[in-house]
Amino acid sequence: MLKRRMLALAATAAMVATSVPMVAMADEEVEKPEKITIMVDGTVFTQANGRAEFEARWEELTGIDLEIIQPDHDAYYDVVGQTMAGGDWPDVIILSSTYYAGYAAEGVLWDMSEAYENSSLMERIEDQSVIDGLRMDGALYGISPTRGNGCVTYVKKAWLDNCGLEAPTNYEEYLNMLNAFTTGDPDGNGVDGDTYAVSAAGLIGGEAPYVNYLPEFYQDAYPSFYKNEEGVWVDGFTEDAMKEALQRLQDAYEAGYIDKESLTNGTKDCRNKFYEDKFGVFTYWAGTWATNLKTNLEANEVDSELIALPAIEETGAYFERVAPTWCITEGCENPEGVFKYFIETMLDGGDMQFLWTYGVEGVHWSTAAEEVLGVTYEEGEFHMLENLETEGTLYTKAHIDPMLAVAPLDYDPKADAIPEESRISTEVFNSTKKQAQLVVSTDEMSMLNGDLTTLKNEIVALVVTNGMTVEEAYEKFEADGGAAWSQEIVDSLNAK
Amino acid sequence: MKKKNVNNSVAVRKVPLSARIYKYRWFYLMFLPVLIFGILFYYMPMLGVLLSFTKYNGIKDPTFVGMDNFERMFSMPKFWEAFWNTLELSIIKLLLNTGMAVILSLLLNEIINLKLKKLAQTIIYLPHFMSWVVTASVWGMILSPTSEGLVNTFLISIGVLEKGSEVYFLGSVKWWRFAYYVINIWKDTGWGTIIFMATLSGINPELYEAAAIDGAGRWKKMRYVTFPALLNTIITVLILNLAKVMNLFESVFVLQNDAVVSTAQVLQTYIYAQTFNGSGIPNYGYSTAVGLFRSLVGCALVLVCNYLSKKVREGRGIV
Repeated sequence: MLKRRMLALAATAAMVATSVPMVAMADEEVEKPEKITIMVDGTVFTQANGRAEFEARWEELTGIDLEIIQPDHDAYYDVVGQTMAGGDWPDVIILSSTYYAGYAAEGVLWDMSEAYENSSLMERIEDQSVIDGLRMDGALYGISPTRGNGCVTYVKKAWLDNCGLEAPTNYEEYLNMLNAFTTGDPDGNGVDGDTYAVSAAGLIGGEAPYVNYLPEFYQDAYPSFYKNEEGVWVDGFTEDAMKEALQRLQDAYEAGYIDKESLTNGTKDCRNKFYEDKFGVFTYWAGTWATNLKTNLEANEVDSELIALPAIEETGAYFERVAPTWCITEGCENPEGVFKYFIETMLDGGDMQFLWTYGVEGVHWSTAAEEVLGVTYEEGEFHMLENLETEGTLYTKAHIDPMLAVAPLDYDPKADAIPEESRISTEVFNSTKKQAQLVVSTDEMSMLNGDLTTLKNEIVALVVTNGMTVEEAYEKFEADGGAAWSQEIVDSLNAK
Repeated sequence: MKKKNVNNSVAVRKVPLSARIYKYRWFYLMFLPVLIFGILFYYMPMLGVLLSFTKYNGIKDPTFVGMDNFERMFSMPKFWEAFWNTLELSIIKLLLNTGMAVILSLLLNEIINLKLKKLAQTIIYLPHFMSWVVTASVWGMILSPTSEGLVNTFLISIGVLEKGSEVYFLGSVKWWRFAYYVINIWKDTGWGTIIFMATLSGINPELYEAAAIDGAGRWKKMRYVTFPALLNTIITVLILNLAKVMNLFESVFVLQNDAVVSTAQVLQTYIYAQTFNGSGIPNYGYSTAVGLFRSLVGCALVLVCNYLSKKVREGRGIV
């Protein structure tokens, strides 16, 4: 406990030391904005969760008037679209990868490449691949303060032990494991064949990187558009790797390795089945979710030890999705100033990053001696406070997840509190990850990709669950116009 | 006596419009909120249909493209697939639901014990109040292709299926529509009986007495008294609902999945897929064109139904 108090004191000292110089060090040539207007979704504190206090603290740290426009989270992109179409653009906007690429291609976003390269932020960001993944034809239109994270495959250790198996490292060993988990007695209830090996929420994902719930079957296949090693856009769905992946999926489904309801499962369905010990191999989010899975398994009185599997040989790497991105619009009158005082400060390592990471003292976190939800804290001990909107739960973070931040906090009071399983799963993921690509939107893509994606998803589902052969599937793809649409989109991407 | 020149017509002095408006000014004032409401919420949004003649991605101003979106729409096989699916699913669902509601109403009408009748009515109305999301979840469990699925377990227990060959009702192209109709009957039949029960309660008891004197039993009373009395209502219900067949969305959306899209995609889910399934910025002009086409077909159906209604209901239309 003494150690934690000492750490909290060190945190306070670090915050004080870093807060003032951050703004004072601002480049003399960059004009400080008087007011910044931002449009954000529900990942920033909402009104009910202390947004006013967050805003006040931000203004206190910068001396700039901050206006936050925060539509309802579920309707965020409707409102963004209406706002942009209306012409009254905010200075800063947060966008998902799809909208980021589309808006950048439409010339709505300010190119911050130069500002980024001349900023201290570039030195602070540890993994430049995250930023490089946001570049479009070399230009940078936004910054993600966190990595996008991705899924890692978890295997129940008790199931492996019961079957006398080691964690698989290649597809052959992986299939052996699936077979043992499906036909044997991995849960040790004395009944053979009453379990299955894998479950997933859908056979193909609804957004990039699409293959992240069943990576061992897809391996090097990618069912959408990507730029290959020669720098040419291709549609991975038309490649042989995808045909082989479909065959692997069909074989595994017919063998009973894959949950029969995967087609109609939601993620919650999968989690519940995993907690109920119905299956043993689950590809799900790395990081905090490792702890959530463990906790829920324990609550169900199921052995909770999970092995985060490094990507098998044939898969090579797990996909990391592109994180939501902070962008400056072309409507901003002083983009250099907004970059300097808003984007750059968000990852300053000091007070401002602390604010974006944990929120406001006394509202979202505290070091006071008190009892919060039945836990007693001593004076100086950092702890999160009860959620203002959802009583009975604690805040865990603000906008930036400290485990995913692309630049470290100078002092993170919760660094030592990261559960081991979360840390390990993150390390495993980070050791074998590759960044999902951004796909530029073209007119042809806007027109054809809705039908094309529906057709691709239908084909995957028909092959895996309805017994259609891979040859028949690709004949259908051709006959229904998919091949022509795909080529049209590929041509438009390569012509850009 | 001097004969007067009598004119049969009555001379009406035309009152100027402004005077008439002034005279009825308070009525016009009371009508004003309704007029404003109508313009704001019914007519102004209709201007949005102009987007169907543009290319519009929600970012920059729409670009006029004439009939391009409609040309593309009519050339897309997936659009026609969705269009015919909409008609087929809606009309079969309508016929099945109405038929089942009539049968159920006749059966309920035969219950003599009033308390039991009310209890039965309450129970069969209940599914109507469940949201489609909950309904899909419950039926997903009932039709699950695992040992936990009620239907599959039952079929295995009576020897129709072997263990391991369970049917994936909601994931099978062959079975999805059957499952869809069954779920719709379960959910909406009870509610549909209300109008028929009302008609049945209005049948003159003397007709039954006369039929009894003529020696009619229960079956013949139902056949020659009850059913003819219901016929007009059945036709009315069918016609009224026919006008709504293009509105199919929620029930299909929550029950469809990737495998059954060729049999389950309807126009509204097609529009949804065009907007949200493309992994890019959608062309709202195209989805608006599909929506406009759907509305026009719906409007045509309303006019046809109005015509049929006038024929069947002695001059009483539905609009």
